[in-house]
Amino acid sequence: AETLQIVVSSSPVPSHANDKESYLWRSHTGGFGTTLESRGSCKRNQGIENQKKSERKVSSAVSNMSRRYDSRTTIFSPEGRLYQVEYAMEAIGNAGSAIGILAKDGVVLIGEKKVTSKLLQTSTSAEKMYKIDDHVACAVAGIMSDANILINTARVQAQRYTFMYQEPMPVEQLVQSLCDTKQGYTQFGGLRPFGVSFLFAGWDKNHGFQLYMSDPSGNYGGWKAAAVGANNQAAQSILKQDYKDDASREEVVELALKVLSKTMDSTSLTSEKLELAEVFLTPSGSVQYHVHSPESLTKLLVKHGVTQPAAETS
Amino acid sequence: LQIFEYNGSAVVAMVGKNCFAIASDRRLGVQLQTIATDFQRISKIHDRVFIALSGLATDVQTLYQRLVFRHKLYQLREERDMKPETFASLVSAILYEKRFGPYLCQPVIAGLGEDDKPFICTMDSIGAKELAKDFVVSGTASESLYGACEAMYKPDMEAEELFETISQALLSSVDRDCLSGWGGHVYVVTPTEIKERILKGRMD
Repeated sequence: AETLQIVVSSSPVPSHANDKESYLWRSHTGGFGTTLESRGSCKRNQGIENQKKSERKVSSAVSNMSRRYDSRTTIFSPEGRLYQVEYAMEAIGNAGSAIGILAKDGVVLIGEKKVTSKLLQTSTSAEKMYKIDDHVACAVAGIMSDANILINTARVQAQRYTFMYQEPMPVEQLVQSLCDTKQGYTQFGGLRPFGVSFLFAGWDKNHGFQLYMSDPSGNYGGWKAAAVGANNQAAQSILKQDYKDDASREEVVELALKVLSKTMDSTSLTSEKLELAEVFLTPSGSVQYHVHSPESLTKLLVKHGVTQPAAETS
Repeated sequence: LQIFEYNGSAVVAMVGKNCFAIASDRRLGVQLQTIATDFQRISKIHDRVFIALSGLATDVQTLYQRLVFRHKLYQLREERDMKPETFASLVSAILYEKRFGPYLCQPVIAGLGEDDKPFICTMDSIGAKELAKDFVVSGTASESLYGACEAMYKPDMEAEELFETISQALLSSVDRDCLSGWGGHVYVVTPTEIKERILKGRMD
């Protein structure tokens, strides 16, 4: 026993300079974890903090502590932030972009497909656009597997409402109910939030055509034009300048294609990289969700002058 | 109180040449009293599958609403309509879920399957499927319907002749049943069109 005590006390005192999280520290909740900051993770957190709120004075002591609040989604940081939710939004910022715009006679959704390979079976799979019910569709940006779960949840919720009330679920209620599910993952269970942002486009008899955007925190808002995914801030600012109220669907499609062509990273804009869908009313009064075929998309790209010669693809 | 005879009903489906017909009566009663003469017993699931439910009216409506729920989700996930055989299995499964507290209805399912081949079947209230090549019947007038169909049916009838046959079978059978009648509702479905007709028979 005596020998053991000597060995323990002769180990070096842990400090940032060691650059290794090799010690177990009692965390604020009473458990043990490797939560002493290493130099690397310290710097990374300072980097993110500076990027997001550069005007705030962040003392090094505070940003060290922030690492401790990463591991639980259901805990606020000392600055009042939910880091896991913000990290989820980071994940979405790297995914293919999607834009939704409200027209006088419909809603247009357009998405950028990130996975484009000759080998992909394009006929059977949709990557960005999904139908939720006859009168609501959505565009997705973020982690596809998370999106699939939420889309299924939304579909079942819409059907449950229809079963109960024998009429289609109002769009805002559907969005709200899905966002309530997302919010649950930021408050209970200790599970990570969903890494998906949605753009919901739909019609109901109370409010006509609507467009909603929702994010991993469970917040949602009604928009006239919105963008999610990569370069969404750039797209949003172009939309702010160029959006006109009461535009027709053709004008809105043109605007959507132009905005996407300006914000997309890729060098060429072909119909394989895009998905375009519209929600509108048929002359008989029923709501239609129509996804454009690749041929129709190519024609539109040529018509609006946004198609560029395709670069050599691998 | 015979619960299957509380509301009264008559439902029949017949197979023709690349087409089918499905017909029902229109009376809704509360035992001896008639309270509606336009009750919908036949419902469209999609353009090529129809279901008609006989039995307790509340279960007829609720079961139909549950089937719409399941079919809509199927359509969204599989991006296609359900085949009639698949739909029949779904109905059978849903009925058996309530094995010890069943829906008090007997469905008749009719549809056009692969290659426009007509499909009909019926089942009891806990989901026992009965496939037939010629006709299926259900409801309080079922015994009369069995006799009428057996006598009047012949295979490979075209749409118009099938309509005549099923209408005569229905009207003559409901006349022998006090709990069903007040007209008829017939759908004749071919690969190209759905023809819906209302029959005027003995209005009693």
